Amino acid sequence: MILEIISVGLIVSACLALFIDEMVYSVAALAGTFFFTAILYILNGSPFAAIFQFVVGVGTLAILFLSGEMLGDKPIKKASPQKTFALIGIGVVLSLPAIFLSVTGSTGTMSDASFGDALWNLRGMDVILQALVVLTVALGIAIILYEKRKGGQ
Amino acid sequence: MDFVILSLVMLGLGVYGLLTNRQLLKVFISVELIATAATLNFVMLASSTGQGLGQAILILAFSTDTAVSAIILALLVIVSKKYGTSNISEILKMQDKVESEAEA
Repeated sequence: MILEIISVGLIVSACLALFIDEMVYSVAALAGTFFFTAILYILNGSPFAAIFQFVVGVGTLAILFLSGEMLGDKPIKKASPQKTFALIGIGVVLSLPAIFLSVTGSTGTMSDASFGDALWNLRGMDVILQALVVLTVALGIAIILYEKRKGGQ
Repeated sequence: MDFVILSLVMLGLGVYGLLTNRQLLKVFISVELIATAATLNFVMLASSTGQGLGQAILILAFSTDTAVSAIILALLVIVSKKYGTSNISEILKMQDKVESEAEA
């Protein structure tokens, strides 16, 4: 039952994020989408995915709040409660197929690796390379800021 | 409860928003919803088969998503600074105006 409630919340918040005119409320609804997604991951036994979702979501939302305030055009008219309720209703209706329908299919045989094994044995090389890329970007930003500071003095 | 249909609905919402919204920030939110739908499908299929591999590969999906977000936001800032608005219709109108002035 709780999975159904969370999936309804997920679709409703996605609808609100897309169709509310005011950018700050829209970003708040997107925060709800990320939150419900992370809860779904936890309830389905994927805590690492939930943690990554939280981390990526928090970063994205912080930037979106800032850019929404600075760059977003102001809406001409304020969002009416009727529109909000209509969006919630559309979200509930859209989430019904996921609750009552099901797709049947066969799952192939996959390797029986745990998260740690899969991360370090199968993906060790590209995790290290990703860390190298992030380190290079951080060093580049530090050098640019240093040069800028040096030029300003 | 079927998570494949749930992620399909999310994907549909994201694509609809991508095609209909005129605000660049809303376009960005649509892209985020599409990425969330993809990762949701990925994680749910992986967790239903009881594998850790899906979660491990998910890190790649998240890093790609973050890179895409960074590029979209950079483009958004450049366009907003250049044109003073983040509305696609107004930007296209301004471009048409500049082109017609250049031709004349």
